[in-house]
Amino acid sequence: MSEATKLGELWSIRNAAANTLILSEAQMRQAVREATVDQLVTLIEMYSPARSTGTEWTRTFEPLVERLWAWCEDDTMAALADVFKARGMPWMAVANSFMPEHGARIRASLRQPAWARMPAFVIA
Amino acid sequence: MVALHGPATVEQLREEIQGVRYREATTTFCRLVTEEGQPIKSAIKEAIASAAPYVQVPAHIMRLPTGEMRGVNYDHTILGWRGAISLMREFEGARGILPSVQAMWYVPQGLNIWEQIICEFPGHYARDGEQCNRKFPGPDDDVNRFDGPAWTAPKIYFEDHDPIEGGSVEDRLTRLTWAIAEGNREESYGLFLGLARDPANREQLKNAVLFSGIVDLQDTIINRGGYQNIGHKALRARALVDIADYLGWDNSHELMYTVVPDLGCAPRLHGLWTEINNLCKMELPGYAAIPKRTEAPLSENELDMLTEVLLWGGPYQVNDTIMGLFKRGAGILDITDAVMACFQRYLIDVLEHPFAFLHPTHAIDYMNVVQSWIRNHDHPHQVKAAFMAARFMNDTIRSNAMYPRDPNYTLEPRQNYRGWADEIAVDRLLPVLKQYTLAQDAPRACALVDSYLDRTDERQALLETITYAACHWQNDPHVMRNCASSLEEWRHNRTPRRDDIIRGYVKHQSRYVKRAPTHDCYEVFKEHFRPNDGSER
Repeated sequence: MSEATKLGELWSIRNAAANTLILSEAQMRQAVREATVDQLVTLIEMYSPARSTGTEWTRTFEPLVERLWAWCEDDTMAALADVFKARGMPWMAVANSFMPEHGARIRASLRQPAWARMPAFVIA
Repeated sequence: MVALHGPATVEQLREEIQGVRYREATTTFCRLVTEEGQPIKSAIKEAIASAAPYVQVPAHIMRLPTGEMRGVNYDHTILGWRGAISLMREFEGARGILPSVQAMWYVPQGLNIWEQIICEFPGHYARDGEQCNRKFPGPDDDVNRFDGPAWTAPKIYFEDHDPIEGGSVEDRLTRLTWAIAEGNREESYGLFLGLARDPANREQLKNAVLFSGIVDLQDTIINRGGYQNIGHKALRARALVDIADYLGWDNSHELMYTVVPDLGCAPRLHGLWTEINNLCKMELPGYAAIPKRTEAPLSENELDMLTEVLLWGGPYQVNDTIMGLFKRGAGILDITDAVMACFQRYLIDVLEHPFAFLHPTHAIDYMNVVQSWIRNHDHPHQVKAAFMAARFMNDTIRSNAMYPRDPNYTLEPRQNYRGWADEIAVDRLLPVLKQYTLAQDAPRACALVDSYLDRTDERQALLETITYAACHWQNDPHVMRNCASSLEEWRHNRTPRRDDIIRGYVKHQSRYVKRAPTHDCYEVFKEHFRPNDGSER
């Protein structure tokens, strides 16, 4: 295989992966928008160190927070902050992720290039 | 200086240590040296002797009435002394005594740990970690009675023993390592005392206790609560070796009493050691013959791969990567030097929360023990220690990563201040670095170090600046210990990335959580030793 062909194939594979990711992001956006606060709380509880399946799972927390700030209304985010703030110190990092100041930072940092279907989210 | 309360005496120092009067004990320690002409070595020996009976615990795991278990902390008094002694030679003049004064300040706060965690004795565990004064307040709301003085005598959990003698040296050394592993504290301590009497045995004895400490290490700290030792058996063994060499072995009985019984204290954790033994048996049958260094140290590409695995991989990927490096012909120190340098990227680039430095820097200190053991002794199992240290480092990263990051502790990138740092003349940069390290401003302190490293080959004054600033913080022997580890490892590291150890070091010392916001101990030191450190201005 020539170098040019190899590069072309690698780029096609990368584009296919990006398309798959974009479709799954679209599905996730729809599911998040339809979810109740309780359902979102249940999802976030999976990030407890006692329930996490490992560090690879926990590292996806920040990408999730980014998407929640992009897709949820402010009152939903405020409700999430209240739920986790009430749980005290062990959940403080989670509660702080749902504070309006943090949300403002995230929303200001998300950009949507003209050629992209989605904002430039953190992937992993 | 005027002696206001009569001459300082060793008896006074002993009473103040055992009575948890740490401010008074520190003043007496300083006065013994400055007014009574006591050599610093002798004052350190007396302080160690005064604490020795009170640093043992029944076990490092405590059964609660509910049937659950909780961890019991390890003695840190001796770790402070090891760091302080090592740092003495780092500074010119009286400044070299600051780490020893800090170690002294901590000693009375670190006795009787078992009683401290059940709020029956004062000290830093009771005062800070357990918050005992909230649970059991005294009559005066403004006084935290767990800051000392003690209202009862400290307990002795392990009485001093006589030496055990008789039998060949080889047999006794074998029995010693088995007694430690099996938890027979009386036998291990007695054998150690007997063997230590003859100077001809001491090198073998050092090798044996370092080996015993290094192989006792948890396989993971993830969700284990107190069922771990975060390298403390190895750290104690190293402290014993270094301090005995400093005091003189014939002058070190109380030091041995402080350290050796605890090496066999429960729990003893040999799961990881067993795993690595099996691994080497299957994949590296010639492990005992692998050289310490070779002409084939790690390439830049291998250093990148190792960094990726240590920071983002899992435990078996770490095993596989280290195994691959050995199989392609790298030497033990080629690999451990690389692990030490590559791990720094975690401190430099990833760590943000001040509390999250604790376990990773214990792994650095453990690696330092492993490295010094490999550098200074020969042992057929040293290859395995490279796996264990890398696994410990990776595990601390994975343990921290089990918790979502807290956006309230996000750090500004150090690169934001690089332009600012570059505008400061190199010959004026170090006082600025000291200022920002003391201010715990990690982005600026790190940018200053990046700039300095790029603009000059000078390193000694840079390291001295970071270390001296770090030693202003009180109540925490981890500081001196980590300073000693970082300096020693930077000096011995042969990778092209060894300056990353300095980058990680300054990040740690300008960000790690502090146990007190004030510098009272430094003020005591300054009053008695009048260091020429610019603080007069």
